[in-house]
Amino acid sequence: MKSLRPNSLATFAVILFGIALFYWGTDGFTAYTAESARVNRLLDARPTFPQTTFEDSKGRSYSISEFEGKYVFLTFFYSACSTVCVQLEGNMGRVYETIPAERLGREIVFLSVSFDPDRDDPARLEEYRTFFDSDGETWRMARVPDRTELNRLLDEFGVIVIPDESGGFAHNSAFYLVDPAGTLIDVMDYTRPEEAANEVARILDQERGDGG
Amino acid sequence: MKQSVYGLVLFILLALPPVAGLMESLMIAHMHMQMPLLVASGFLMAKYGQIRFPRFWERWNDNGVPGILLFAIIAVYWMLPRAMDEALAFPGMEAFKFVSLSLLCGMPLRDSWPKIGYAAKSAVIIGFTLLFAGMGLLYVIAPVQLCNNYVLLEQIALGWGFLTTAFCMVIFIIYHLFTRHSAYE
Repeated sequence: MKSLRPNSLATFAVILFGIALFYWGTDGFTAYTAESARVNRLLDARPTFPQTTFEDSKGRSYSISEFEGKYVFLTFFYSACSTVCVQLEGNMGRVYETIPAERLGREIVFLSVSFDPDRDDPARLEEYRTFFDSDGETWRMARVPDRTELNRLLDEFGVIVIPDESGGFAHNSAFYLVDPAGTLIDVMDYTRPEEAANEVARILDQERGDGG
Repeated sequence: MKQSVYGLVLFILLALPPVAGLMESLMIAHMHMQMPLLVASGFLMAKYGQIRFPRFWERWNDNGVPGILLFAIIAVYWMLPRAMDEALAFPGMEAFKFVSLSLLCGMPLRDSWPKIGYAAKSAVIIGFTLLFAGMGLLYVIAPVQLCNNYVLLEQIALGWGFLTTAFCMVIFIIYHLFTRHSAYE
């Protein structure tokens, strides 16, 4: 018995260590991938939109203050992408369709931000916009010409972009919702547009309730 | 003693920034070469620990169960897609990967394996075979990118790596079951 005790103690300690390690490593058994951990962190940190100058498909330049007082529904994409971005922008279009016309542009603006400023010039964005239901006004497509600003924005919102061999990029995707004060308030699953549409409708209704 | 030196050399070699960078640039090399080699370095270095601190192992790892549990916990932890991403994102996690896989995974395995019984050995081998097969299917089938630092194609390659390993382990198990061991002992 005497020689068994430290051994049992060690077994117990190892099991406790294991539980602690997994608890800590998965944020309390909630985040098994870095992507879910990233979303959790973003929702905790609620970063504000950094100073960024956009250039949109109509060649207009403006900063984020252009959208002050409105919600901004945001995605990051690049037009040469033939896989995820098409689904991402297509699903963004499905959310866009559910917003009543009187709210579009007044309470909420849709903005697709390209992280490939070299290729996505205004002409290219103007062409790409027509593939979806984007009108270029209430749903704008824009690039961030300044590399430093672009990187700061991607960094702030936790977007990781890796160039791949064929001149494209691998990147993580989500729907982002920025509130009228410029704070990121929600990150939504881009593969579930219905859920995102409900969430946006709920937030807009709440805002209207608060206001009136 | 000599093998402990080899283990240490292997560990230092793996820790050299160019070597680590090269291995981590490929997802499959990161998980199926760098990590097992770190375990192997700890396995080799364990000899030194056993000679230097025999009482410690005798006392705290008498029946081998604590050691094998520690081995399994660390090994499974590093199979989490997130753990791999974080090792690349945070230097602290990278250091923890090197230390945990060698000292907390390879070392206890060396000390525990001869001590645990046939049933425990079978449980470990079968458990890891199922886990490898499961992880392989997850990485091959998952339509989404599980790791932010690696593209989808690399993830699928890693999945096939897992499935191949699991397949080899199944062959080993079958071979083991159909061999009359008494004939060779």
